[in-house]
Amino acid sequence: MNDILENIKTKGMQKFIALGALILLYAAFSVFGNNFFTVDTLVSIFDASYYIGFLAIGVTFVIITGGIDLSIGTVMMCSAIVGGTLYNNAGLPLWLCLFIIILVGGIFGLANGIMVSRLKLPPFIATLGTMMVASGVGSIVSNVQSTTFPMRSSPDGWYKDIFRTADNFPTGIFVLIAFTVIAVILLNKTVIGRYTFAIGSNKEAARLSGVNVNKWETVVYMISGLFAGLAGIAYAATYTTILPGAGQGFELQAIAGVVVGGTSLSGGVGSVIGTFIGVFIMSVLKIGLPYVDLQPHYQTLITGIVVIGAVLLDIYRSKKEKSVKIKS
Amino acid sequence: MRNKKMITSLLAVFILAGILTGCGGNTMTSQKTVEIIAKGFQHDFWKAVKKGADQAGKDLGVKINFVGPEGEGAIAAQVEMINNAINKKPDAICIAALDTTASLDAVNKAKSNNIPVIGFDSGVPGAPEGTIFANASTDNYKAGELAAQKMFEAIQGKLATGNPRIGVVSQEANSQSISMRTQGFLDKMESLIKSTGKSVSIVGHTKFANGVSGGDVTIDIAIPPEINDTQGQTSAQTLLNKDDLIAIYGSNEFAAKAIINADSAISGGRIGNDKVVAVGFDSGALQIDAIRNRKFLGSVTQDPISIGYRAVELAVKAMNGESAEDVDTGSQWYTADNIDSDTIKPLLYQ
Repeated sequence: MNDILENIKTKGMQKFIALGALILLYAAFSVFGNNFFTVDTLVSIFDASYYIGFLAIGVTFVIITGGIDLSIGTVMMCSAIVGGTLYNNAGLPLWLCLFIIILVGGIFGLANGIMVSRLKLPPFIATLGTMMVASGVGSIVSNVQSTTFPMRSSPDGWYKDIFRTADNFPTGIFVLIAFTVIAVILLNKTVIGRYTFAIGSNKEAARLSGVNVNKWETVVYMISGLFAGLAGIAYAATYTTILPGAGQGFELQAIAGVVVGGTSLSGGVGSVIGTFIGVFIMSVLKIGLPYVDLQPHYQTLITGIVVIGAVLLDIYRSKKEKSVKIKS
Repeated sequence: MRNKKMITSLLAVFILAGILTGCGGNTMTSQKTVEIIAKGFQHDFWKAVKKGADQAGKDLGVKINFVGPEGEGAIAAQVEMINNAINKKPDAICIAALDTTASLDAVNKAKSNNIPVIGFDSGVPGAPEGTIFANASTDNYKAGELAAQKMFEAIQGKLATGNPRIGVVSQEANSQSISMRTQGFLDKMESLIKSTGKSVSIVGHTKFANGVSGGDVTIDIAIPPEINDTQGQTSAQTLLNKDDLIAIYGSNEFAAKAIINADSAISGGRIGNDKVVAVGFDSGALQIDAIRNRKFLGSVTQDPISIGYRAVELAVKAMNGESAEDVDTGSQWYTADNIDSDTIKPLLYQ
């Protein structure tokens, strides 16, 4: 409890701004949007947040270490395709396929981790490669055909209830919150989190003080991959059909959410709760803008401006913090 | 030492290249070859096109090589594929261009190499006179009109009360085939409604808007800012959330899927019997399910098998020096009642 209070004092400002912006946005769309303020719309905002949320939470760890993971979007699609193909063509039970989806994500994460930590590839390049590899693997596995998961009416439709029940109750928000809590604990209470921050603040210092940087960096990329797998399940449950060769661009949306939530791309600073809020800011924008009858090109424009604004605000704020410290 | 190594490896490359080019090409077989470049295999639509092309190849005794890029956004990859196909010096090439302007160079190159080019599906619209031998494609404008006709028959009775709204979800406003399906629908619907003595406003996107405000009936077009499931669903849901909506049209598989997903996120659902009349385009597992459950009134399907077959047929005509004209491969209306019939079933894909 004390920790939480302490947290609010030290890093709270940023999250406050983000949370305030989120509430303000939602309120503004509710006032100006045509029929925006309904339970159904709220459920859609949740729907749009599950998969991006998982991607963003996972990649938050990587970004805190000062790295980047560009592969998460296509890894998400690839793992969902592998799971769906095994379900449709090999007749494996659905629960096993869902498990395999997470596993496939983890394997891609492990590969990223090894390339970055042991083979010393720059994260940007390594994960860019994995992005293409995952896209290719997905197409190969599915024989370049779309993969359809069971529909709600079918006996195996239960997996859809993980994210939304038949009478439209958004169970997924609790799943997302649960994983957010797990990630918060991982990041703030365990050795994984400590070393994540240590590597991000100063990799060399971490290594010299006896941290097995290679190992923990690999673990961090694996976390990102596993969350991409989770995102794959969320995507399948929400949209049912998965197209091979898709998924590029989602990683950037997730990273935008992370950055809007106050995690610094230069590493060492970041929070999962911030990411959670950031993802919702992006989703409220995405779902809300059409409700104020804006044409699509303006929607993209405004989203871009918000991302730039959020980062500018963050830079300005952290500069101010630093300058205060020097004076005192 | 270093030089020696380089010379050896250069020699090796030359020899290898010599062997490869010697074996390549169709000098060794007398069978004629048709290179077919599709838009990709992402949608099962293209599987059906390939099926038709393979069948025609068998029937007409030509060798078919059917390729396509990984996704429908991969314009550059497709242009490379077209160039590769030309370099193989086939007897004819069939192209369904992702982007007309990007493919023009390649099309001109084929022309200067005397390789006839046949357009299929959306073909190569806007290609200069004489570069394209003929096209085998769906008349998308007509197909859009068909969707409007069928929807109008279902909503005719509802037009009299209040100021009803008709929603249209269109994947994009750039691609020729999808724009034409949207445009054909809009024009037909507008004229049908006008024939009942009512005025029509078309709103929602500058490209399609008709500039009339406050018409008796409003046609509202939603186009997602990005082509992905989330944005598609949001666009459809914005329409479904409008209380005065009486009907909704999705002009391709993506748009129909967006409507279905958006509807499933609304408590109780908005579309179906006695509710908002939904009309789709093409097929796919979700859409077929929605039609069987009568959530969708029906959809327009193209004839992908015939597109593939006719394209190869045109290619054979071209290589034999015969003349030919563009072929409309047709479109069909299907509902829960005829979905399993012999004429419709082969045209649908999961």
